Amino acid sequence: MKITKAVITAAGANQRRLPHQLLVDRNGVEKPVINIIADEAISAGVEDIGIVVHPADEDLYRAAAADSGRWTIIAQHEPRGYGHAIYCARDFVGDAPFLHMVGDHVFVSRDGKSSASALIALAEQENCAVSGVQPTRENEIGYFGAVSGQRVRGSHTVYSIDRVVEKPTPTQAEQILAIPGLRTGHYLCFFGMHVLTPALFRLLAPIVESSSKNVDLSSSLNELAKGEKYLAIEANGMRFPVDVKYGLLKAQLALGLSGGDRNEVLTLVCELLAQRELAAAEQEN
Amino acid sequence: MSKLVSIIESLDPAVRDESLDEIASTLALDELMIEADALESYRLVCDNLYQRVRACFFLYSIHRYHLPLKSELANSGRIPFDAYEHFLQRQFEGCIRLLLAEQAENGPSDTLSSALAAAYHRLAFQTLADQVRKSVRSVQGNQWMFRVGHPLDQPLRIRPELTVGDERPVLRELTPVRMDLTHSAWSDIFFLGMDYPEGARVLNISVDLAVHGRDAHPKPPVEAYFRVIDEPVVRLASVDLESSADITEIDEIFDFARDYLGLLKAALIASGVIAPGLEGSNARLEDLLTRIAGPGRGIELVSSVNGIPKGSRLAVSTNLLAALISACMRATGQTESLTGPLTGDERRLVAARAILGEWLAGSGGGWQDSGGVWPGIKLIEGQAVNDGDPEFGISRGRLLPSHRILGEQEASRETRQRLQDSLVLVHGGMAQNVGPILEMVTEKYLLRSQPEWNSRNEAIGILDTILADLKAGDIAAIGRATTGNFFGPIQTIVPWSSNLYTETLIDEVRKAFGDSFWGFWMLGGMSGGGMGFIFEPTRKAEAQHKLQEIMSAARKRLDHSLPFAMEPVVYDFSINENGTFGDLLTGDDALLPSGYYAMIVPQLIRQDPRNLSPTRRAELDRFANACHDRPELSDMVQTLFDRLLPRGKSAADGGRDLSTLLEVTGFDPVAHEQVRAELKSGRIGLAQNRLPVSSTIRDVVAGDVVDGIGGITPDHVSLGREALENGEVAVVTLAAGIGSRWTQGAGVVKALHPYAKLGGKHRTFVETHLAKSRKIGRAAGAFLPHIVTTSYLTHEPTRSYLEAVENYNYQGPLRLSQGQSIGLRMIPMVRDMRFAWEEMPQQVLDAQAQKVRASGRAALIDWAQKTGEGSDYTDNLASQCLHPVGHWYEVPNMLKNGILADLIAERPQLKYLLVHNIDTLGANADAGLLGSHIQRGATLTLEVIPRRLEDRGGGLARVNDRVRLVEGLAMPREEDEFDLTYYNSLTTWVTIDSMLEVFGLTRETLSDITRVTAAIRRMAARMPTYITLKDVKRRWGHGQEDVFPVAQFEKLWGDMTALPEVNSQFIAVPRYRGQQLKEQAQLDGWLRDRSAAYVESLCEWE
Repeated sequence: MKITKAVITAAGANQRRLPHQLLVDRNGVEKPVINIIADEAISAGVEDIGIVVHPADEDLYRAAAADSGRWTIIAQHEPRGYGHAIYCARDFVGDAPFLHMVGDHVFVSRDGKSSASALIALAEQENCAVSGVQPTRENEIGYFGAVSGQRVRGSHTVYSIDRVVEKPTPTQAEQILAIPGLRTGHYLCFFGMHVLTPALFRLLAPIVESSSKNVDLSSSLNELAKGEKYLAIEANGMRFPVDVKYGLLKAQLALGLSGGDRNEVLTLVCELLAQRELAAAEQEN
Repeated sequence: MSKLVSIIESLDPAVRDESLDEIASTLALDELMIEADALESYRLVCDNLYQRVRACFFLYSIHRYHLPLKSELANSGRIPFDAYEHFLQRQFEGCIRLLLAEQAENGPSDTLSSALAAAYHRLAFQTLADQVRKSVRSVQGNQWMFRVGHPLDQPLRIRPELTVGDERPVLRELTPVRMDLTHSAWSDIFFLGMDYPEGARVLNISVDLAVHGRDAHPKPPVEAYFRVIDEPVVRLASVDLESSADITEIDEIFDFARDYLGLLKAALIASGVIAPGLEGSNARLEDLLTRIAGPGRGIELVSSVNGIPKGSRLAVSTNLLAALISACMRATGQTESLTGPLTGDERRLVAARAILGEWLAGSGGGWQDSGGVWPGIKLIEGQAVNDGDPEFGISRGRLLPSHRILGEQEASRETRQRLQDSLVLVHGGMAQNVGPILEMVTEKYLLRSQPEWNSRNEAIGILDTILADLKAGDIAAIGRATTGNFFGPIQTIVPWSSNLYTETLIDEVRKAFGDSFWGFWMLGGMSGGGMGFIFEPTRKAEAQHKLQEIMSAARKRLDHSLPFAMEPVVYDFSINENGTFGDLLTGDDALLPSGYYAMIVPQLIRQDPRNLSPTRRAELDRFANACHDRPELSDMVQTLFDRLLPRGKSAADGGRDLSTLLEVTGFDPVAHEQVRAELKSGRIGLAQNRLPVSSTIRDVVAGDVVDGIGGITPDHVSLGREALENGEVAVVTLAAGIGSRWTQGAGVVKALHPYAKLGGKHRTFVETHLAKSRKIGRAAGAFLPHIVTTSYLTHEPTRSYLEAVENYNYQGPLRLSQGQSIGLRMIPMVRDMRFAWEEMPQQVLDAQAQKVRASGRAALIDWAQKTGEGSDYTDNLASQCLHPVGHWYEVPNMLKNGILADLIAERPQLKYLLVHNIDTLGANADAGLLGSHIQRGATLTLEVIPRRLEDRGGGLARVNDRVRLVEGLAMPREEDEFDLTYYNSLTTWVTIDSMLEVFGLTRETLSDITRVTAAIRRMAARMPTYITLKDVKRRWGHGQEDVFPVAQFEKLWGDMTALPEVNSQFIAVPRYRGQQLKEQAQLDGWLRDRSAAYVESLCEWE
């Protein structure tokens, strides 16, 4: 198995502007979020990137694609959910496994080794689908897809997935998603990064074709887990959803603190705090 | 190895189910003590919960029932006060250690065994309850809620459908209640289901209800409403209890007894909306609501049960809790669908959460009670544990049962229809606490006594019979099975599940309908409330009408004998095939139930309209429009008008009634004001009841007490017999009180309570006393005059009852001595409430129940302060506001009302009175004891009994070296009571002439009423006045009851022994003779320890 393509979904109604937001990357270069995500894929060895976008944004992306040379812009003509968005990329992907990343998360590695590389390495080694996961506290699990499964013998970070549930309730999580070895009240939730096999398209096809309803991804991933080997790997990096309150700020701070401008960012934060305190003290006097 | 330990440990059911009673009855005292030692050592090291609990019950039974029967066991012993303190603090292990040390030092005794029995009994239930609580918490799906300790931990969010638009959609949950065809002898008690899952089987039906003649058609009786509001508060409202509150603090949610909203609070907690882990966290409710519903928003939860009365035995409150929980879970995305029925897994979760909610709120039903969550008819069965269950290795069964809904094959559509066409469902009107029955069932199950164990197995078989009958569609056969169940296994296990009222109804229905009456069906834990009567379908309509008549008439006859909370009602019902069901009310329909507006609108109208939020104003607009358009709201304007301008009290209401009553009863307002002044100034009160601390209180010594067992000689017997034959004796039964403890303040006449079946029939207390006098009189050839004292509260009911039963055909003179004094209860002083609850030793409850009690007491203190401490208590039925003023007055009353003078005129030979309390069932005019009294020439001979743990309230003591009775209220130090060997039975032999002399009277001056009155007043002034707090029930709504503590004063007969001029003797009598039945919970032990058989041996019923 060799992974050369990636699909980034960026067509969600709430995330159309976000991928174009500018952030300063680890190298101190100002870039749109979508480029930072694409860089993560490229650093992991991906050669072609398909970006699924809202039809109204096609031109904007095409202009950006001209600069990169590796992007293929795919329009999702009907807003029919996450599963449908990926399904739209089936022609781009062809009959090969691919890396998938969400367009509203910024991924920051802890040790310079990208999470996407780890995912791809495991998928190529085990010849199967792999999802990046992260232990998540129960108060946050309502935002993510979550998996249950067993730790793979001999590994601390790899799990075989036997079930996928979209946005579980804490009760559901406790009843069906508990994984031995994790801390109480923590569950494995998606990291926003997967290596998926073409089998997924075969599972999505009947659902997409049979009705005009929204199509989620987790149900098909759950089917995938029943039909073939499907692993999860605990990502060593951090992900920052940019579509939440202060999401962009957090992502920027994380990028800044993990790159070459670390000292400058730290100084900035300290200055800001000091000025605030001084102003408050002066007011009191 | 010990025989009893081997029974507990055995894996072979034939051995494990052996009866303790059979084995213990063959063992001698020392063999029993050896077994008890072995059980004690075993339970301390045994790591299996149920084996430990069973050992505790074995030990309890040995000490309660078997050791006391051994004649070699010492009658009296001493309970160390430290042990008692441990007992009250629920430190049962410590208590048992101290008691066993005392037993090792001074030998076993009846007294010590009574304390050990109580401690083992409580320890067993504590262990079981702790385990159930642990299991409830550890149910997968509930655990996360205990980890939420901060608003940021809260994972739940309101579903977006509930926050769209300005009108705020309303989520409504409609839930049926459950009616159990059979519960296989209470097999749904958690402890049973968890130890004996194969025997835990219930068949129950979800039903919709209507009150016959009131409501148009049956509908789901339980409704819960949930919506988002634009204020950061939790708004709770109970339409039926007419209570609402805006809650702004998290701790208020955990304060269950503060108001009538405990069930709604428990639902919020058990559904995880306000997670249980947040209790005591100091977190802000507003922050939590922001996290759940968004900034500035709150939630409103409303309950309504369509006026279905309490005590229906249909598990209304558990199903309401389940409905509320279900609504909360739907609203916060914990169910797949916002509306419609629930999935099977969701139903199970709602049931588990309802159990959690009940345990949090300090109650606790059975595991089948939330049956209304499921549709139709279902078989609910206990489940054996598997590896991986939280109960694995602890109990044999899982906490939660499985539910199987019966299909068309097992109960066809026609059968269901036939069942509906045959069954008349009623609420008999009685409200009783089923708790003691559930404890008895658990105890008997663990002891495996043969008749009860056989009955349990028989009851399990009856379920299979009913299943087969359902399949065959044979409703008449179902009627036979449920009737057989009620008169067979159910009553063999717990006779108290039936009562005279129920059996009267069954008899009269049978007489009226003959073969068309197919059977009786007990609902829930006991009869008297919700019940079923099965008829041939063609006669159902007639039966509904007739049953209402029969019930109303029987209730009228027994109104003063049994605790009725309401007028009986007949229901219409239909089987609900949906189970709990949700729908979303939007647009103009987004309204809460009409009762909600009847309660809330008057409050809103009184506010400045500008202060109402826009959504509130919009809602009121919608409601106003609905009042125009919807026929069911057509009378709303009148309802609101009545609420806004309450009419004055009518002439028939309590206030007016009371003042008239006070006038006619000769209530003394001057004395009343004096008592009030003294109470308010603190000269009298609970603390002032006590003797000075300098008093020395010591136990009596040899010679102070006559031995009434071994010390009675043939001479005494013949002396007594002679007096009886000469007609020198009359019996006085004190029956002026209303037995506050007997019915927890329900205000029935205890003398008329048909407390137990003796000689094959339910007998009242007064009938029992007459039957003893009959037997003595018949043997002596001269029937004894029998006097029953009454008070204003009990006189008329007693008179009319005795008239109706023709004095039970008593052959001798039977007179009522009407009370001449009455008191008016007062709102207690907070000082006294605190003294009673904080200073006096108290039984500490289980942790959660203790919290509920503490919050209830805080509310009562608040009530006393707001209503006015020391003011008259008038907010109740007149009879509940008045009180008799203590049994000291009862003998003087006989002087004052002329009864004694009349008797003496009729029978100049009359010399002696036997005065005894209504609840001392073993007391009779025994010739030997009478002879002893005569021979000693005493004025009063008081009978005392060796003390047991439960005998609290004073005893026989040397007070400052005078031998006298001392009341518990007067004990300066609690611990003094524990050094006293004897307890006062209050039974007193009185020599009439000597007593008159003490009063300064003679037989001749008895007719001079002025002189008699002056003599009594003089004597009364020398008697101490005790202030006591009594619980009274106030009934309202549909069978709802509140209990209030009220202050009253009393003078007590035992204080006569403190007077130096009274020659008082004391005689120790056997326990069977002197013990008193104070609480209904004692009845089962009374029956089992042969006390009932003893009483029966003293009686002649005809």
